[in-house]
Formats: sequence, C-alpha cells, structure tokens
Amino acid sequence: MRVTETWYLTLSALLFTVGFVGLLVRRNPLVMFMSLELMLNAVNISFVAFANKLDDIAGQTAVFFVLVVAAAEVVVGLSIVVAVMRRRPSITADDLRSLKG
Amino acid sequence: MAQYLPVLALLVLAGLFAGLSFVASKIFAPRNPTAEKLAPYECGITPGRDLPERFPVRFYLVAMLFVIFDIEIVFLYPWAVNYQELGLFGLVSVLIFSALVFESFVYLISKGALDWGPLQVSRRQDPMRSADRTTASTVRRVGQDGRTVTVLDAGVAAEEAGSGVAA
Amino acid sequence: MIALVAQDTQTVALPGPPVVWSLLWPFLILAVGGVLLVTVTSVVPVLRGRSFPAAFTCLTALASGLSLIPVWQRVDRLDLVGGTIGSGTEGPRSLVSGAYAVDGFTVFVTGVICVSVFLTALLLDGYLRREGLDGPEWYVLMLMSASGGVLLASANDLIVSFLGLEILSIAAYVMAALHLRRAESQEAGFKYFVLGALASAFFLYGIALVYGATGSTTLQGIFAAGPNAAGLDPRTDSSLILAGMALLLVGFAFKVSAVPFHFWAPDVYQGAPSPVVAFMASGVKVAGFAGLARIFLYAFQPYWADWRPAIAALAVLSTIVGGLLALAQRNVKRMLAYSSINHAGFMLLAIHAAASPDDGGQRGAEALLFYLLAYTVMVTGTFGVATIVGGRGDGRHDLDDYRGLSRSNPLLAGVMAILLFSQAGVPFTSGFFAKFRVIGALASDGSYALGGAAMLAAVISAVLYLRIVVSMFLIDNGEAHEADHEAVDAVAGGRAAPEAEGDTLVEASPEASVLTSVRAPAPTALLAVCLAAAVTLVLGLLPDLGGGILSDAASALLLAG
Repeated sequence: MRVTETWYLTLSALLFTVGFVGLLVRRNPLVMFMSLELMLNAVNISFVAFANKLDDIAGQTAVFFVLVVAAAEVVVGLSIVVAVMRRRPSITADDLRSLKG
Repeated sequence: MAQYLPVLALLVLAGLFAGLSFVASKIFAPRNPTAEKLAPYECGITPGRDLPERFPVRFYLVAMLFVIFDIEIVFLYPWAVNYQELGLFGLVSVLIFSALVFESFVYLISKGALDWGPLQVSRRQDPMRSADRTTASTVRRVGQDGRTVTVLDAGVAAEEAGSGVAA
Repeated sequence: MIALVAQDTQTVALPGPPVVWSLLWPFLILAVGGVLLVTVTSVVPVLRGRSFPAAFTCLTALASGLSLIPVWQRVDRLDLVGGTIGSGTEGPRSLVSGAYAVDGFTVFVTGVICVSVFLTALLLDGYLRREGLDGPEWYVLMLMSASGGVLLASANDLIVSFLGLEILSIAAYVMAALHLRRAESQEAGFKYFVLGALASAFFLYGIALVYGATGSTTLQGIFAAGPNAAGLDPRTDSSLILAGMALLLVGFAFKVSAVPFHFWAPDVYQGAPSPVVAFMASGVKVAGFAGLARIFLYAFQPYWADWRPAIAALAVLSTIVGGLLALAQRNVKRMLAYSSINHAGFMLLAIHAAASPDDGGQRGAEALLFYLLAYTVMVTGTFGVATIVGGRGDGRHDLDDYRGLSRSNPLLAGVMAILLFSQAGVPFTSGFFAKFRVIGALASDGSYALGGAAMLAAVISAVLYLRIVVSMFLIDNGEAHEADHEAVDAVAGGRAAPEAEGDTLVEASPEASVLTSVRAPAPTALLAVCLAAAVTLVLGLLPDLGGGILSDAASALLLAG
C-alpha cells in the first residue's frame, strides 16, 4: 500500500479538526493554545504535502513563516494569560465572563 | 545499517526494562488501598474542592524568551547553509533581521524583564514604595477638617502603621 | 545603500530580488518608525514620558502619509495598466519578487490607515495621561499593527497576506490587553486573541488549499489558474479551491466581524481600552477589508459566481443583525460595536457590487473606497468621544452617562451628534454619501433586493444613533442615577490610578473627579474628535472632493495590474 499525498492531506485535515474541536471544547487556556498550535501545524503538513505533489518550493518556504508566526502568536497568548493570572488564583475560559451583554 | 543494530538492541532493552519494572511492581508490590490512603492529604481539613492550579509565572517568562530566540534559528540556519550563494544581499538581510531580534533584547533589558529575584525587584524604582507614603499622606481622615491632631490620634496612627506593616 | 547592494548581487549565483525602495517608503516609514520608537525609548529612558511617543507617532503617520504623494504620482498611470505587472515602467507594479504590489488602491488604503493612526495617537495621549499609564508600547504596537495592515493591503502573495494579517492582529491583541489594571481589558485581550488566532488558522488553511489547487500562492498565479484564463490549467481542482476560498472568507469574516462570525466584537469592544477600540474598529478593519477586496476581487475573480452569494449573505446578515442587536444594548461601546458590524455589512455589499462584471463593478469599488475613508474617520471620532466620556477608569459607557452631555460640554455633544448622524447616514455628512454610493452601486448592478435590504438596515440602525443623540440632548432628570454613578466612579477612579490616590481622594470632590474628563477633556483628544467631525462634514458637503483619486484607485483594485 503506497502512501500518497492524499494520506497526508487527510491527516492534516484530521489534525486541524482535532485542534478546532479542542479549542472549542477545552476550557484550560494552555490546552487551548496547544489546540491552536495543532491547527497551525496541521496546515504545515498540508503545505508540505502540496509542495511535494506540485514539485514546488513555495509551499515549503511557507512553512518557515508559519512556524515563526505560530511561535509569536503563542508567546503573545501566554503573556496575556500570565497577565490575567496575576489577578486571579486560577483561570479557565469560563472564568472570563465579566463581559456579557 | 548494521552498525546501528546495537543502538536498536539497546533501545529494545531499555524499553523492556522500563516495561518489566512497571509490570513487576504491579505484580509483586503489596497493595491495600483504603479511602484514607487515597486522600490527597493525610491530615487537616478535608478539602471541599480541587485546589486552583497555580503555575509559576517566572517559568513561563523563561519559556517565552526561549521561544523568541529559538525561532531566530529557523531563519538563520538556511541562510548559513547557503550564505555564499546568497552573497551580500543575504548578509544584509540577515544583519537587519538580527538587529531586529537584538532590538527586542534591548527592550527586554530596559523594561527590567531580566531582573529577577526579590533583591532586584526591590531595587527597582517604584512610586508606590517611598518614604513619603505614610498613613498620614494616603489615608483621608473623615471629619477632622480644621481640628488639630492630638497626641491620641498620633498614637492611633502609629498603631495602624504598625499593624499595616505586620499585615 | 541597500539598493546598491541589491544591484551588486547580479553576479552571484542567487541574486537577491530587485527592490524598488522608493515605492516602499510608506510601508517602511511605519515599520521602521515603530522599531525606532521602541529602541530610542529603551536606550534613553527620559523619552519614555508621555509626550514624546505621541508626537513621534503622529509625525510618523504624517510622514508616511506624505510619502504616499510621490508614490501615487508614480503608480497612478492608468494608461499603462494593461502592461505586464512589474515590467519596470511606471504604473501599478509589484515589488520584491512580486510579493508586494503598489497601485492606486494600495496607496489609498495606506492613506486611510495613516489617518487612523494619526487620530488614535492623539486620543491615546489624553487617555494615557488620564489613566496614569505611560510607556511607548501602545504607540509602538499601533505603528507595528498599521504596518501589518499596509502589508496586508499591498500583499501580492497569499503568504505575505498572512504575514501582514498576523502582524496586524498580534499587535492588536496586545493592545487590547495592555491596560494591566483593568480586568476587562485583559479579558477582552484574551477573547480577541483566541478568536483572532482561530480566524488566522482558518485563513492559513485556506491558503494551503488554494495553493494545492492552483500550484501558486501569488495572486497572479491563482488568477492565471482560473477557469476563464486561456488554456485551462489541468491542475485546477474545483472542490479544493472552493474549500480554500470558503476558509479564506471565514478568516476574513472573523477579522472584519461579519455576522455569523461577529460574536467576539461586542465583548472585545466593551472591554478593550477605548482608544485601542478606535484603532481596532478603523485601522484593523480597513486593512481586513482591503485584503479581502484585493484577494477576492483579483485572485478569485474567475470564481466570482461562486463566492458572490456568500458575500451577499454575510453582508445582509451583518447589516440587519448588527442593527437589530444594537437596539438591545445599553452600553454605548457595545452599541457602537454592533453598529460597526452593521457598517461591515455595508462594506461587504460594496464588495459584492464591485464583483459585478459590468458597470456596477467600478461603482462598487469606488463605493468601497469611499466607505472605508468615511467610516474610518467617523468611527475613530465616535470612539474618541467615548474615550473622553468614559472618564477615569474608562468605565462610564452606559447610555445614561451621555445624558445631559449637551449641558456639561456642548462642543463635545455637538461633535458626537455630527459623527452619529454621519454613521446613521443623514444627508450633508460623509456617511450619507458612503451609504448612497453603496446602494447606487447595487442598483446599477441590478441587485435591487440587496439594495432594499441595505436601506432597511440603514433605517434600523438610525434608531440606534438617535437613541444616543436623544440621550445627550435630553433634559437631565436622572439626578439620582448620576449621584449613584459618581460614587461608583470615584472609587473606580481611585483604583484605576493608585499612584495618584493620595491627591484625588483628599482634594477632589466626587463630582469634580467624575466630570473633569467631560468638562475639560484632554486637548489632544478634543482636537482628534473635532478633526474627525470636520472631515466628516467636509466629505459630506463636498463628496466629489478628490473624485479622480477615488475612481483611479478603484480601477486599480479591479484590474490589480
């Protein structure tokens, strides 16, 4: 059985979905960030798989940018969580509900 | 391929040893669990709810700094592999990039993000912490306008200041 | 110097891309300005005070705006549009290996973003003084965010779009959470971050699928792989590109808060610091619309029949739902958030019209550009007034807090009335012509149903603005409420600025501490809102001012090369 690009694309779609569901379902901000990372890196798999299929370097370079952006994003997210933590003993996403209208 | 065989064998052995230890302790160790033994604390008041997880902020700070400087390598490594072909343009690009990364370092230092520990923190200038800020200057006394402060009041103020420090 | 370097590399194996630096200045000034500001204030702490960063930011925005003039004169040669892009002649062109496009549309949007940065910097100055905050970080982040917005608007490659979008958004997440003493601010920052990052992930997946379907990430490449290009590319995979477009559209809809993806906006707008909201609602949104328009109207133009109904649905939902939900609010910042959702619907309608293959296209693109400019100015001004009325602690945003504003500060009430009337689309204001152009474009396209829906939504949202205006000019009979609020606010004020608590609590009577911000607003903030109102009126009285610019920029958007 030969592993084709379709397998990688399916894996990528599955991981993306897992990340998406994780982001919606989990209430711990750290797990939410992990889910985000999962989504972004699932896309990376797609990029590489497509680049391989198309025999084109652009998809692989895209991964570099995505990696960096993902890191920057998570660092910012962590800082926001740390800032919130300084005011509260614990944090879950459900605790953040003073803004409702 | 053959020279990697010992490594593989070692891996298998390590895995086997770890697995066997777990299995062995499961089989041979005496276990007699009771409700008291399974409780998280042996004495004191039984906790009514799960304690809030606290995570130490400092470690996250370290992690964040690490991620920033770690990612730099993602761009530097491909350049380093091809630096001759990329020539002066590549060099200038990487210099600009490094300058930008270094710039964030300058900002971190100026903000005191790398001053750790109680000593450094207390050495920092803080308008909230000065000799001028006493109970007399920050607490408004209601209903004393136009009255002179008596000795008794001063004593009370001193007491309050003392208890404030203790608290 | 660097330009020389770029030319020297012709001799080596991998030459660097040719870069026309002179056309990059508007972007570079914003980005370098931000970096320079953070460096200078880090090295020379004396400059960390409050005046220098604000002045620096205003000057940077001005410089970037002025540098647009020579660029405009170079790229606005429409007779050369037919030539190949990047051919080295004057006219619209792409730079840096086709990653960055400079044309009339880019220049126009960059100008609008500069306006937003300029006004917000003025607002921030007064806000930071009132809240007892300092630090150049706010301004640095805003400049960074603006440069990301310019990058998103000028991107000629989806990867560059993604970078621009992320620079734009990440800086905005931090700005939303930057008021460290307000729990609401951090909460808003967290929500904005999570949903924004989700949108970015969708956007990125869309890019990956489009890349897989067309084999290219450049807008030209995607366009060329389209079905109506000569010689159908066998790689075009219809279902992949449909999914990719849908994901990109979802990502953009999150960013511009179009209706099924709008739910973060009211919470974030309510919690984030008011001047930051002014920037988020103007600069960030404008950049999002510019990216949306450029990618869909150019790269996905061959597929317009597929995505146009989706845009129409988003637009109608946004206008109607935004207007209706706004009526249910009492918090003015939330009301304005829903009103900005309503405006987003109108701008999506303009994009819908611009996608028309016939005459409606040009009119739709013009309507979009005019709407972007008018919207930016009026929304920045409106949130500017909200900043001033918010008072110390940034907490007075209830509808009742606007009661009697016409007595305590007639100028402010007048300015706010102009801005709100403009948002409602009352004649002789810029908002009227913005809405008029959108509906006109829809009519010339033949989309009468959408035009009717837009008019209905405009009427619904007008009620919302009238509510605020009536409340401002109402005879004040809510004394009890006032007193109640003052007590609360005095406490909030003391908490918001602890280093000043000694003075405030001793000296100021509660009434004075509450109303100073309204009776004597910060001069810079007042200047900003007056400027916004003045521009709104001028655009409303002379709507054809610079009409040539508008039509040139619009045709640049439609041809995109």
